[in-house]
Amino acid sequence: MTSQPQTPEELAAYLAPRLGDRLLGVEPFPETLGRVRFRREGALDLFRAMRDDLTFGHCSTVAGIDWVDHREVVYILWSDAARRYVLLSADLPADDPRIETACAIWPSANWHEREAWELVDITFEHHPDLRHLLMPDGYAFHPLLRSFKLHEPEELEVKSRRV
Amino acid sequence: MSAAPVPAGAAKPAPATLGLPMGADLPMAEAPAVPFVEIEALRAKEFIPAAKEALGALIAEQGQSRVIRPVFNWAGRNSLFPLHWGLACCAIEFAAAFGARWDAERFGVVPRSSPRQCDLMIVNGTVTWKVAHKLITLYEQMPEPKWVIAMGNCATGGGPFRTAYSVVPGVDKLVPVDVYIAGCPPRPEAMLEGILKLEELIRERKE
Amino acid sequence: MGPQHPMTHGLWNLRVRIDGETILDCDPEMGYLHRGIEKISEDRHYNEVVTLMDRCCYVAGFSWEHLYILGAEEALHIEPPERAEYLRVLCDEFQRIGSHLMWYAAFVQDLGLMSPFLYGMRDRDLVLDLFQSYTGARMTYEYMRVGGVRNDLPPGFSDRARGVLDWLMARFVEYDQLCLGSTIFRKRCDHLGVLKAADCVTHGVTGPMIRSAGVKRDLRKDRPYSAYDRLEFDIAVADGADVTARYLVRMEEMRQSVRILRQVLDWLDRHPGPVIAAQLPRWLGAPYAPIGNEGYLLKRHYPKGVGFSAIEEPHGEALAYVVNEGGEHPYRVKFRSPVFANLSAARQYLVGYHVADIPPIMGSVDVCVGEVDR
Repeated sequence: MTSQPQTPEELAAYLAPRLGDRLLGVEPFPETLGRVRFRREGALDLFRAMRDDLTFGHCSTVAGIDWVDHREVVYILWSDAARRYVLLSADLPADDPRIETACAIWPSANWHEREAWELVDITFEHHPDLRHLLMPDGYAFHPLLRSFKLHEPEELEVKSRRV
Repeated sequence: MSAAPVPAGAAKPAPATLGLPMGADLPMAEAPAVPFVEIEALRAKEFIPAAKEALGALIAEQGQSRVIRPVFNWAGRNSLFPLHWGLACCAIEFAAAFGARWDAERFGVVPRSSPRQCDLMIVNGTVTWKVAHKLITLYEQMPEPKWVIAMGNCATGGGPFRTAYSVVPGVDKLVPVDVYIAGCPPRPEAMLEGILKLEELIRERKE
Repeated sequence: MGPQHPMTHGLWNLRVRIDGETILDCDPEMGYLHRGIEKISEDRHYNEVVTLMDRCCYVAGFSWEHLYILGAEEALHIEPPERAEYLRVLCDEFQRIGSHLMWYAAFVQDLGLMSPFLYGMRDRDLVLDLFQSYTGARMTYEYMRVGGVRNDLPPGFSDRARGVLDWLMARFVEYDQLCLGSTIFRKRCDHLGVLKAADCVTHGVTGPMIRSAGVKRDLRKDRPYSAYDRLEFDIAVADGADVTARYLVRMEEMRQSVRILRQVLDWLDRHPGPVIAAQLPRWLGAPYAPIGNEGYLLKRHYPKGVGFSAIEEPHGEALAYVVNEGGEHPYRVKFRSPVFANLSAARQYLVGYHVADIPPIMGSVDVCVGEVDR
């Protein structure tokens, strides 16, 4: 389709009318269509545009990254028609890391968002089932935060008890 | 059959046959005078008291622990039934040991799915806190006597993941371990050697 | 059903709600093998993370090493030499055969066929012998490095490898006769666990599962990495989207892997060369830096960057996102596991079938718990 954007600049021009100032820019990223930086308020509109207008129907993963003063959530999408990836990236403030869920648009984001919440403490609003996936129920910590430090191996010696 | 010595060069005698045409039924012996079950009962009636007498004499002479205990040990160590489960990478080497190249079943080792039928639990892989409760439950479901082999570095002391937040640094923090097999993963031969070491341990059991 | 259950082939729990024999709902419960690989990697040197990737998915160790190394090389702006890229493809494709043979052995054992289990393990041991000859280990190789691979192939490897490939091609015919020729196998596997193409895409299912639904999607062709753009092979596709179709796809993938491997072995025979990049910074590869580059080595230059790589792992599409903020440890590594997504769609392909259908369906999904839980 000739109207599909082929470069990051074209993608920025395509998304600007839909998102307005909620779009912070599209950076080039090697071997992908680009890396779209957006504000979290524009999440749903961006997701809908990606899936319906730009044929990015496959959400590969949702990643959470903890930069200590803020958090970042990265969505990686794939388009079968265009045969390439695009990255969407939003910065979330550390004291209020919430963003709208992508499950309504891509059901595959369900488990990825559960894992991102569990490990990096990003709350996805209106997620149908936000509970622990990899850690036991009731685990109180978010391990992949930089403030969560691991032990040294020598500190882990405890006396073994007979069961 | 006693054969008369045949001079060299003589024609070999024809094999003994019944002279029946092909496809005919073989003549069966007459039904025995005493039915089978009764024969066995008669034999048991004679055998068991004789065995008791011989065994009793042996026990009186040498003590129970030197007669009965070795028989139990022999039976136990040659028929170790491990639990059919795999935790992580070592489980693949555990499965390879049951393949055709390193046939583990020739040692009497047959994996069983239910812990009620097992006497050996091979912990092959990383133990996490999430599975610790289930592992202890499985261990408690196994009937006595039971043994645990910690296979691989993760089960021995946490392995490469010792510092992780969700990993138990060694399964001996949860259940008592009899044999540790080092390796990441240990080769199937190493696992078989661990089982043989356990068999040596069982051979020395005193109670 | 789990975490200790003969069906699971690993530590995960499938909680199933049933009415009689029919499955009403299911919920896979993961995390019993969560080892915090992503967190531990933040304390490890770039080359040390490779040891964790072997153990992440243990039946497809080379693929995950390759995935991480591609991401790390992009984050560190390092290019491997061409021979290293062909060696990586060699490792990948042999690993694909090994992984599919392991899948085959476990899958048919779940259905009750014991002889194919033994044949599969026997043939997989042949492939593992090849791995052992040049890496030293059967399963946890630690072979790839940022900038290339650790060492070259031993002499005579190429003949041994071709012998194994010829043996395997004959065995695939036998496997098809054993399975597709068995009425019990067909009755148990046909029309089971159907997941149509549209559902695959919306639920993020990739790999043999989406190719069994007729979609020609393979990252080796769609977004070639390493040496795949210079190799000739076909994508294995099947119609039907059921368990038998996935079996056919994996068998055909093994045959295509043999085809790729013959081309790779030919190339490797004709083009000797270095297997690791010549200009590696000292903190990344001091033992491998050739004499004469000391001027370059004295500069302690830590580049920054973000690396994103995607490979076609035997189970599907795997991604790595490596964030490099300078320094010798990665700041964050994020991996996307194909089985993670394939399992998350369990409700789509399990509901409505019978409890006895769970082993064939989950077997066809080819669960490797190590990569789901990481």
